[in-house]
Amino acid sequence: TPRHATPSIPSRSLPARKPGNVLEEARARLHVSSVPDSLPCREQEFQDIYNFVESKIMDGTGGCMYISGVPGTGKTATVHEVIRSLQHAAEQEEIPSFHFIEINGMKMTDPHQAYVQILQKLTDQKATADHAAALLEKRFSAPAPKKETTVLLVDELDLLWTRKQNVMYNLFDWPTRRHARLVVLTIANTMDLPERIMINRVASRLGLTRMSFQPYTFKQLQQIITSRLNRVKAFEEDALQLVSRKVAALSGDARRCLDICRRATEICEHSGQKGAVGLVGMSHVMEALDEMFSSSYIAAIRCASLQEQLFLRAVIAEFRRLGLEEATFQQ
Amino acid sequence: MTAVGPPCSSESSFMSPSMNAFLSEYDHMTWLKYIYDRTVHIMSKRKSREKHLTVGECVSQVQRVLRERFCHQRLPDKPVGLESQYKHLLELLRRTAVHGESNSVLIIGPRGSGKTMLLRCALRELLELQEVKTNILQVHLSGLLQTDDRIALREITRQLQLENVVGDKVFGSFAENLVFLLDALKKGDKSSSRPVFFILDEFDLFAHHKNQTLLYNLLDVSQSAQAPVAVVGLTCRLDVLELLEKRVKSRFSHRQIHLLSSLTISQYRDAFRAELTLQDDFPDSKFSQEWNLDISKLCEDKSVDEILQKHYNSSKDFRSLHSLLLLAVSRVSVSSPTLRAVDLLEASRMSSADSKGNILHGLSILELCLIISMKHLNDIYEGEPFNFQMVHNEFKKFLQRKSHSIHNFEKPVVFK
Repeated sequence: TPRHATPSIPSRSLPARKPGNVLEEARARLHVSSVPDSLPCREQEFQDIYNFVESKIMDGTGGCMYISGVPGTGKTATVHEVIRSLQHAAEQEEIPSFHFIEINGMKMTDPHQAYVQILQKLTDQKATADHAAALLEKRFSAPAPKKETTVLLVDELDLLWTRKQNVMYNLFDWPTRRHARLVVLTIANTMDLPERIMINRVASRLGLTRMSFQPYTFKQLQQIITSRLNRVKAFEEDALQLVSRKVAALSGDARRCLDICRRATEICEHSGQKGAVGLVGMSHVMEALDEMFSSSYIAAIRCASLQEQLFLRAVIAEFRRLGLEEATFQQ
Repeated sequence: MTAVGPPCSSESSFMSPSMNAFLSEYDHMTWLKYIYDRTVHIMSKRKSREKHLTVGECVSQVQRVLRERFCHQRLPDKPVGLESQYKHLLELLRRTAVHGESNSVLIIGPRGSGKTMLLRCALRELLELQEVKTNILQVHLSGLLQTDDRIALREITRQLQLENVVGDKVFGSFAENLVFLLDALKKGDKSSSRPVFFILDEFDLFAHHKNQTLLYNLLDVSQSAQAPVAVVGLTCRLDVLELLEKRVKSRFSHRQIHLLSSLTISQYRDAFRAELTLQDDFPDSKFSQEWNLDISKLCEDKSVDEILQKHYNSSKDFRSLHSLLLLAVSRVSVSSPTLRAVDLLEASRMSSADSKGNILHGLSILELCLIISMKHLNDIYEGEPFNFQMVHNEFKKFLQRKSHSIHNFEKPVVFK
């Protein structure tokens, strides 16, 4: 293995095209990856996390925080924003500087890899999992002068579960050491994760600083899209409202909302003539919603061949006759 | 020759993903193109040498052309009946290639409904653009070959030719590989790095991997500001979204392209005619005209129509039609150079043969007697299980009462 190979994707021969018209511009803005500088509708949560981390950094103590919420409610984005503004503050020397490390449970092959990644990001050395755990243990328990606070973000916490739970235990135990100066922010989907899968000594170390992200309401979703579009006039008001109401009724997932809007712009672009680019109206949005939400089972049955349909009829007849939900093939 | 038919067609469908893996280096499309060019080349050479071929040569040419069409699933010039889906997919891939927009899409359809064909057609058309051809990287994965994330990851690293690849070997452990790949993708950005197409054949099998790590990471890349990727999944399961974990599902963009064949019987007939018709580039034009005339006559035949109707009712996909036609075409020989309705009838009989009935035909008298006594037992006791002793008793009763001691075998013989 080349030891210090810098991983990269080869670059393309000519740069990607810039968006040409209003709809393309809107689509680029609506892509989930283009995270805006400030997240609308999450001001309260932002403030809470900010205060928590800031106070820990100022005091030079450590602590844990548990953040939960269904996917697509802006947990990771909010935490990143907090860190960004804290780093900005540190540059202005309003608060002491700090390290920021991020690990993601899904991006590891094994929970014990967490140690390796943390160590690598802290000190840039490679080690096996056991060795890394020992090194980290030493680092966090020994007192050292002028030690910076470390903020550790653990995403997808539930995947760090092992049978003995020692990875989680260590993660939550280090902040309680006197010299550690470690702030751990953990993110997971379910609210009752600590009670459900953690044994008592782990749950008690996690502490009671909890925060839960509620699913977005339709007003918030609407506001998110409007702020994303940022005065690019591509959508009718009613169309936006329909999308946000539908998504809010189902899941409150902002990712879904943005995807639907993006699809609607595509439909609009295809239905319109060349050159004349209109607004995205109700009909386009309806079509996109249908495409993404509707289940295709009925269409599939309708398209099945005669013999397959007869088979389904036979199954139904057998069900009516016996009242059982399972039937053997012979019947 | 006829017996070669079904295994051959199944082999071709089985081979295609593995070929993907092997040939990805050379790029599958160019490979197909190469074969196509070569056949055209050979054909034109033949044409220049002699205008009229003998009947035998013509027949072997027909066999070759049609067999290639049915077995190797050569790409048609345009996907038939799937125009809107094709347009959607093409537009999506084009945007990833040209604008650097990350996308994810699932192509869902029953087996043999032309998912791979659609995708390959779209890729072929895309690669004709010079701008696209020099820019994109393709990664082909199949759920049947890459049975876990470790193998899949190795394959991705190899196909992308990342820096930890030496020759064809990928170094480093599974965890290191994953970190390496993610770092590589994170380094990229929207406008400057080359877009990557991830094509996941048998997508539903990837959802059975542990924690769905690979899917999560691929979709997460497609949802964040990293190197532009397009994740295209091909699957035949309608409920594939229910297999995904919640966080994986949230990252998927919920674009689905359904390929449901809404073929009517008349379209099916047209497809039948088109599949058998010879193209203009056939070396002997007189023979091909006659052949095509015969085919159109054949299409109006009553008995052929009945066969088609029967096959249409049992299944609508093209693969079963292909295997039927392959059986029929392989009966064309020098002595009977045209395709007749009888051939089709024979092929249909062969493809719809009852395999269990055939096995029963080959049994000895004693075995048949035993089966009959089993049938008796089943009728009397209505589905109760039975053992050898009961069957033997039944058989002995039959011997005592009716038969004239011809089948009076010893018990060990019966047991055997």
